Amino acid sequence: MLYKRLKSAMWLIVAISILSAHTAWADSVNPPFFLQVEPTMHIMEGFLPPGWALFWWLVALPFWVLGFHQLKHLLIEKPEQRLLLGLAGGFIFVLSALKIPSVTGSSSHPTGTGLGTILFGPFIVAILGTIALIFQALLVAHGGITTLGANSVSMAIGGPLVAYYLVWLPLRNNAPIWLSVFLTAFIADVTTYLITTTQIALAFPDPVSGFIGSWITFVGIFAITQIPLGIAEGILTVLIVNALQQSATSELKMLGVFK
Amino acid sequence: MQKHLAFALRGIVLWEILKIGTALLSSMHLIDRYAYTNRLRQVNSAHKAGLTLTIMGLCLILNKLLVGLVAIGGVGLLGIFLAGIPAKVLGRILLAEASFLFLATIGVMLSVSLHDPGVTMLWRVQVGPLWFSTSYQAMLDGSLIVSRALGSAAAMNFLALTTPLVDLIDLGRRSHVPPVLLDISSLIYRYIFILLDTLIRKRSAQESRLGYQTSYLRAMHNAALLASQLFIDAFRRSERLQTALDARGYNGELRVLMPDYQTEPRLLWAGGLLIVGMVGAWLVS
Repeated sequence: MLYKRLKSAMWLIVAISILSAHTAWADSVNPPFFLQVEPTMHIMEGFLPPGWALFWWLVALPFWVLGFHQLKHLLIEKPEQRLLLGLAGGFIFVLSALKIPSVTGSSSHPTGTGLGTILFGPFIVAILGTIALIFQALLVAHGGITTLGANSVSMAIGGPLVAYYLVWLPLRNNAPIWLSVFLTAFIADVTTYLITTTQIALAFPDPVSGFIGSWITFVGIFAITQIPLGIAEGILTVLIVNALQQSATSELKMLGVFK
Repeated sequence: MQKHLAFALRGIVLWEILKIGTALLSSMHLIDRYAYTNRLRQVNSAHKAGLTLTIMGLCLILNKLLVGLVAIGGVGLLGIFLAGIPAKVLGRILLAEASFLFLATIGVMLSVSLHDPGVTMLWRVQVGPLWFSTSYQAMLDGSLIVSRALGSAAAMNFLALTTPLVDLIDLGRRSHVPPVLLDISSLIYRYIFILLDTLIRKRSAQESRLGYQTSYLRAMHNAALLASQLFIDAFRRSERLQTALDARGYNGELRVLMPDYQTEPRLLWAGGLLIVGMVGAWLVS
């Protein structure tokens, strides 16, 4: 009984948050003149100074190497997973290309990495996410090659790592599936934004109030759009995992997602 | 009641995604269409990618206002006269990026603090306890970022508009990128279109039956229906694809015939000239 009540209370909170996201989105259809831009995602090509661009490439490198090895092993052991891999990558691309603008040199959008993290673990997602990022630079002119390192660290590496080790692993057998899936996607999303914010604040500290000043400004701006978006993405990921449980049970078992 | 609420909520989320997804598909088709039909399509993708990377690298390393401007102009001319891409299309994509950048640099140029930043600022305004200001240096930094970012973005657009992704994957194969990565890349490329196409097809099927016209609640209900089916449908299609590939002896590598690439001397000359121009601009400034 209590559980049921909690569940409906949860839905109520979700409803309110989603509705606010809905309004935010509706507003962005007819934004004030200075917001009338076609939004671009992630940190844009050439936006970071050369030193920082190189630095984030170097940070991402070890994770790519690790992810590549895991990917190779997975494909040798379970070649039939290829399709699910492609689908998860496509999902990251589609979701992270749905974006709304933000004033901080980056943009707000769901990341889509939660699903991949649940299915394949954080290191393989590092590869899938990076490929999706390259495609975005080439297909929709979003993000870029010089900032690929920075964007990978936030979206493809940092978010999934944190969500996997802090949320998914501890929760998956101790909480209802929908809750752990929802939280994993949500945390991956929010972490991505905290990292992006840190990257921008590090590269462009406020001349007056320094790194902390710009960090707080950027976090404030992001929180408005990103928390409702994270919730929306969480719900979508729960829906898709439910759908996969119905139609791809054997694949999920083979990946060891659920017991 | 709870069930209805849950259903309506999913609907709201997916309805928004639908709207944006349709826009995304059209912008993707725009870039993809020119990639396949422009006059430099047959030119060796290594030349195009090499030129793009060089311009991007120069923009980043030389790091001067004038260099970025030369890059934007030069790449624009290459796109219009050599590749035959309408100036309007190039302009539209670049303008979208520019207006975004304008927003982004506001964040860089604007300083917020609790203390009076002093008279050395270009301007300062007090709102409640907060001071907003811009320094002369921040202004210079802002314009440098705009030119650097737009220069590299223009170069990237040039590559995206002249080279289809299949050519780039083939370029990866020729330059010994691990085949595993290339395979996953081609699959992801395929799935992006499967997901988006499924979305558009299902949506127009629903729309043609007035699925989104009668009432808000009905529209939300239908959006939720669509979303829960979208992923399953894409998954089933991928299973059929796998079966078809297996039946033809698929061992994890998709081998296709690539077109015979040509060398376009004009592109090499113009590209060389542009690089010299950029270095020249750096020496001048």
